[in-house]
Amino acid sequence: MNLKLVEQSPLVLGAGELWRKGTTADFLSAIGDENLPTETFHRWLVQDYAFAKGLAAFQAIAVAKTPRPAQKVLIAGLSALNAELDWFEQKAHEHQFDLNAVNHPTCRRYVDYLIAAAYTQPYKVLLPILYGVEAAYLCAWSSLEPSGPYAEYIQRWSNPLFAEYVAELLGICDHEPDEIQQRQFNEVLRHEQDFWCMTWEG
Amino acid sequence: MLHASLWQQNAALTQRIGGHPFVRGLADGTLGRDAFRRYVAQDAFFLRAFLKAYALAAAKCDDFDRARVFHELMAGVFDELELHESYSATLGIDLDEVEPYAATKAYTDFLFRVSWHGSLAEIIAAMVPCMRLYQHLGHELAASLRPDHPYEQWIKTYSGDEFGQLCARLESLLDEIASNSPAVHDAYRYAMQCELDFFSAPLENLQ
Repeated sequence: MNLKLVEQSPLVLGAGELWRKGTTADFLSAIGDENLPTETFHRWLVQDYAFAKGLAAFQAIAVAKTPRPAQKVLIAGLSALNAELDWFEQKAHEHQFDLNAVNHPTCRRYVDYLIAAAYTQPYKVLLPILYGVEAAYLCAWSSLEPSGPYAEYIQRWSNPLFAEYVAELLGICDHEPDEIQQRQFNEVLRHEQDFWCMTWEG
Repeated sequence: MLHASLWQQNAALTQRIGGHPFVRGLADGTLGRDAFRRYVAQDAFFLRAFLKAYALAAAKCDDFDRARVFHELMAGVFDELELHESYSATLGIDLDEVEPYAATKAYTDFLFRVSWHGSLAEIIAAMVPCMRLYQHLGHELAASLRPDHPYEQWIKTYSGDEFGQLCARLESLLDEIASNSPAVHDAYRYAMQCELDFFSAPLENLQ
């Protein structure tokens, strides 16, 4: 999939500068420059796992609200998210870091936002939210060359299957987002920006 | 009593709130009118979420008498909102057009997440800090009252017996329903942290 499809999508274009802020960060640059300390990366992984658990709750509720055939995309995504959680747990075991550490306030705010939205917003708004989460993640990691100590991670989060999933999410979003859909998409990007800064700033 | 133990365990945080410049300004009347206007607008936004959280708590009650307590607590929030409406007229705020600050949104997202997704015990633990803190501040600040104090109405509302009784009813429910669990401790503590951030926001945001 060409990332331009994402970058030219109406929600991304409507977000303006927020898109850049949500998909670029000093944290990512340090990974690209191969000078991010391992402990910093592990701290981030622990929070990313907590986030992924929250996202699974969000997505499960979204699955229940979304009619078919769009629901199929979300169910497949939820299954992939389950595999992702397994992978995190395996990594934690390998590298001896504690996945039960306290959630950083930034991570907590993001998860609270997602779960509150899952219950209070209609599925037509939940889809752009989920697209925002996944598209921002894909594009942020895709900006890095899969080399150096973090090559495995870069590859994992920029691979063609993940990109295909993001394209499918885009396909089930409304082609002309309304004001509420755009506002929620933008809010996801603000949380993404904060999340990248979280462990970088300690 | 769980409610007393939680209040005690968070004493450092509540002391920080008591000494916060916003609260000190409320106490001695030096808080700027614009900062108070911003606070009232955000608080009205917050209270609408608080009201819904009570409604969701009532929906999760198996016991009809307990649901009735939440109904009474909701009536208390409507009274508080009337206070805000009276302020809105004099301060020039449109309560239907409030854009929440990041701190307000974090607090209401937390409340909604807990009240939709969490247990009844967690909901109450997330809601007691606001009630108990305001009752505490109302009593503390009552000593600062003097003729023509600009925030007399606010202080009298939260130091009043009526508000104190509502707070005590919610704390009794906490003692009845909640256990001494990590989730309950976490909800209580995080809500108190949100209170601190909430008082900082009107001083940090100028719109």
